[in-house]
Order: sequence, then C-alpha cells, then structure tokens
Amino acid sequence: MLYFINNYCNIMYYSSLAAIRRAFPPSDKKGFHMPRDASTEKPLVELVNVTKIYPPDVVAAEDVSLRIYKGEILFLTGTSGAGKTTLIKLICCLETPTRGLIEVAGRNLSRISSAGVQRMRQKIGVAYQDFRLLDKQTVLQNIAMAMEVTYASPKLIRFRVEELLELLNLSDKRDKLAGELSRGEQQRVALARAAANGPSLLLADEPTGNLDPVATELVINLFRYLNERNGTTIVVATHDESIYADTEYRVMSLSKGQLSAHPSRAPHQIELFEA
Amino acid sequence: MRFLAYILRQTGKNLRQTWGTQIMTLLTVTLSVLIFAFFFLIYTNMIRASERLGNDVRLIVYLDQEVPEQMRPEFEKKIRDFAPVEKIVFVSRTEAFAKLSAQLGKEKDVLNDLGPDFLPPSIEVYPLKTLNDLTKISQFSDFLLTLPHAAKVQSGSDWLRRFGYFTNLLRVVVLLSAGLLIISMTFIISYTLRLTVLSRQGELEVLRLLGATSAYIRLPLLLEGMLQGLLGSSLGLAALYSLYQWIANRFSGPGFLKLFDITFFPPEITAGILLTSIVLCTAGSLFSIRRFIRI
Repeated sequence: MLYFINNYCNIMYYSSLAAIRRAFPPSDKKGFHMPRDASTEKPLVELVNVTKIYPPDVVAAEDVSLRIYKGEILFLTGTSGAGKTTLIKLICCLETPTRGLIEVAGRNLSRISSAGVQRMRQKIGVAYQDFRLLDKQTVLQNIAMAMEVTYASPKLIRFRVEELLELLNLSDKRDKLAGELSRGEQQRVALARAAANGPSLLLADEPTGNLDPVATELVINLFRYLNERNGTTIVVATHDESIYADTEYRVMSLSKGQLSAHPSRAPHQIELFEA
Repeated sequence: MRFLAYILRQTGKNLRQTWGTQIMTLLTVTLSVLIFAFFFLIYTNMIRASERLGNDVRLIVYLDQEVPEQMRPEFEKKIRDFAPVEKIVFVSRTEAFAKLSAQLGKEKDVLNDLGPDFLPPSIEVYPLKTLNDLTKISQFSDFLLTLPHAAKVQSGSDWLRRFGYFTNLLRVVVLLSAGLLIISMTFIISYTLRLTVLSRQGELEVLRLLGATSAYIRLPLLLEGMLQGLLGSSLGLAALYSLYQWIANRFSGPGFLKLFDITFFPPEITAGILLTSIVLCTAGSLFSIRRFIRI
C-alpha cells in the first residue's frame, strides 16, 4: 500500500515539477549556490587523505582530502590522466583506495557490505566517460534499466524516462538502439540513465566531452534542474573549461593525483578547501 | 509482487536470448529423466513381482513311497520343528493322478494308457510368508531332502535365485542411470547457465554498476534452472507414461507380462522424481551462479 502511495506521490511530484519548469524556465545564468559552512554542516561525501596507487606504482590520487556537501555542485578539473576518473570511481565504490578514508552519507566505504554497495549505487547516478550503454538495447530500455533495478513501477519508469528524454532533446530517439546513436547522443543517454532514479548524488565523468555547444547547454540545464528542484549533489569531472568558466560553484583542480582549489577561484573557496 | 514480475520477466528474457541452448538442455534433461525413470520403473515392477513370487513359494518333496497315515504326524513335527510352516499336504499317488487329470481337463484322455500309480507320492510344504530369504529356502529344501523316502525336492529356489540376480543387475543399472541423471542435469544446466551468463556479461556488468541487487541478478538464473528441471522431468515422465500406456495396451492379457502386472509409478514417486530433477537443476544453476557471477 505504502509502495503505491509512494509511486503516486512520485508521479504527482514529477508532474508538478514539469508544470513548474514550464512556468519558470531555468535561468541561463550560471550562478550557483554558495559553498556551505564547512564547520557546521556534515558533508555528503568526505575523502580523508585518500591515496590510490595502481600497480606497479602509478599514483592516481595522492593524499586527497575533500568534502562535498549536500546540494552542492562541484567541478573537478584537470588534464587527462590527472586522476579525475579515479576519484569518481573511488566515490562510487568501483575502486578501493590504497590508503585513506572515504565516507558517503556518513558510511565508511571500506566497511560497507557488497549488498550495501549495491543499495548505495541505486542512490548514486554515475555517467561514465565510456557511457557503459547496452548497444543492442533501445534508448528507453537503457534508461529504464536504472529504475528497474529499484523495482520502480512501469508507469513511473515511463514517466521519468519521457521527461528526461525531453529535457535532453532525445524524445525522437527513444526507440533507437543505443549502438546506432552518435557519440554525443550516447553521452546524453548515459546522463539520462544516471539521473533516472532522482539520485541524491550524481557523478558525471566528462559529460560534455562529445557534445556541441547546444547539447552542452542542455546538459548544464539538466544539472541545474536536478540540483535546484531535487537538491541533487552533483560532481562533474571535466577538462572542458567552458562549462565552469563563469560558474560560482566550487571548482577543484586535480594534477598528478593531487587536489587543489582551481587557480581561478575566489579566495574563500581556497579557504574552504583548506578547512 | 512487482519484484516477482521483474524476476519472471528477466527469466523470460534469458530464455529468449539463449533459446537454442535452452532447447538442447531441455532435451538432455528430458532424456536423462526418461532413461532413469524407465529403468526405475522396470526395477520397481520386478521388485513387486519378486515379492509376489516369494509369497507363492511352495516346496514339493517327491517320495519313493507313500507315507502311512500313522507316520504323518511325525513327519509334520519334524518339518515344523525346522521352519515355520503354514500348512503341509500329503499327496498320495492316486490324489496326484486325480489332480493332474483335473488340470488336463478335456485332454485327460492322454492319461488313459497310464495307470493311476505312475505319479510319485509327495508332500507339499507351504512355508510362512516370513520365509522369503532364498538362502533359508535353500536350507529348508536341503533339510526336506533328508526326510525318510524323500527322492527329490522341488522348491523353485533356483529360478528365484536367477530372478534375484536379474533384479540385482537391474538395481546396478538404476543406480548407474541415477548417476547419469545427476551428472547430466547438474553439469548441463551449469554449462547452459554459463553460456547465459557469458552472453549477458555486458548487461550484468551494467546492472551491477546501476546497483542491481544479488537477488535481481541471480534469482532469474536460478529460476531458469528450476524451470529446466520442472519442464525436462515433466516431459521425460510424460514420455515414459506414453511408453507405459503403449506397452500396457499392446501386451495386456495372459502371458509373461501378466505375471509382472506392470504398473506406473504411484503419485509420490512421480512427485519425488520431479522434485529431485528440480533440485538437481537448481543445484547446477547455483554452482554456475556462484562460480561465474561476482557481485
């Protein structure tokens, strides 16, 4: 009974959101939430002195400490091989750190059971750099799969998938096989799948790597939409400067596995990082 | 309910994706069950026939000369002291002749040229049903041969012994076919599921990344094994039942098969074979799942 009520509420909630979105289209201002007060708020993700060394001695992350707060959007920048993807994989339990502590929603990832990891992954949306789509399944099936593993109702799945396809301008591709799409379209499908469950944390690895400016804008709008409406915490690993150049969100820079505040950032962000 | 729907849908998807292999597996399971159940059916019927023959055991002691009336109690005492006996019947030459004459019916004319004394007198010993061991019957037979005037003892134990050897041989065949059943079911199912897992490797990997639980990934595969077990054994038993019906219709009536009075498995044995097949196939699935799927 509670399940049906929950699904009904979800549908009503998303219907309302769609209406609100139509009435109040997202501003094109890339202005954002200010960083939280690090001294009082509990972070959603916390990395403490995390080091990741791949055999034999490739240092992908070195002594990284980072706090990501609920509802925050964080850009992780850096050149290829800087360690951005490794950091994303560490947060979503695809890799284990060589040293250090990682906590997500207060849970120490080194002590979490495999069932716990699976439950956590249902709440974390990840858009992988290599998309990880199933080429022989349709766009709709690829996106729906993320919701099916949580046993969401078919009605809710249809509703959310249609909504995401509309947001990412992919509605006409819903029944196409993922393998038949262009790289840019596949990238958007991967993002839609990551966002399908309304995750509390969304990790996007190079989400605009294959996109033109128009599609990039759609992705940025999706992030803003998820963040503003759902309070989704978003971590974007990117080397595309155009998407974070004017942002007021936190931007951190990774270089040779070491994390630092981006040089272009305001001094208060550097202070926050140091805190 | 929705969980079950997802599991069933996923199972259907698996079966569709590897339907060719699934059919081959189903046929193998069917054939294995058919072979095992066929021998097991013969074995159970032979055991039943053997029990029936054991119940009808009768030892006939042929004598050189008739036992006088006053000596009969002494003979009876000797026999009863050796083994528990249901009844003892003394048959004189004339009684034996009359019996044979009655058995021949209309053909009794063939006895016309023979005198009523041509048959030997005998003692018919009917042991209790508890005396069903071939060794004991043989010992009893040896003892009866030591009775005064005893010329020959006919117990049918040699025939029963040969029947017993055949039943033992059949038991070995049943055990071998049971071994075949176990091996074919567990290994074939395990192999089929391995193919399923390999063909869906990419999908399973993505499902893991999306947070699919162990139950979401493993249960459909387990259900696949169970379904193979259920369908395969049902088809195998149905084929055997058809064969049984065909034999029963063709060979019913008096004769050799009348002796065996072939009957099909009772419902509990049928259910047992079905259940065992399901368990074996599920075990095969489980083996494959544990070996090839890491979550």
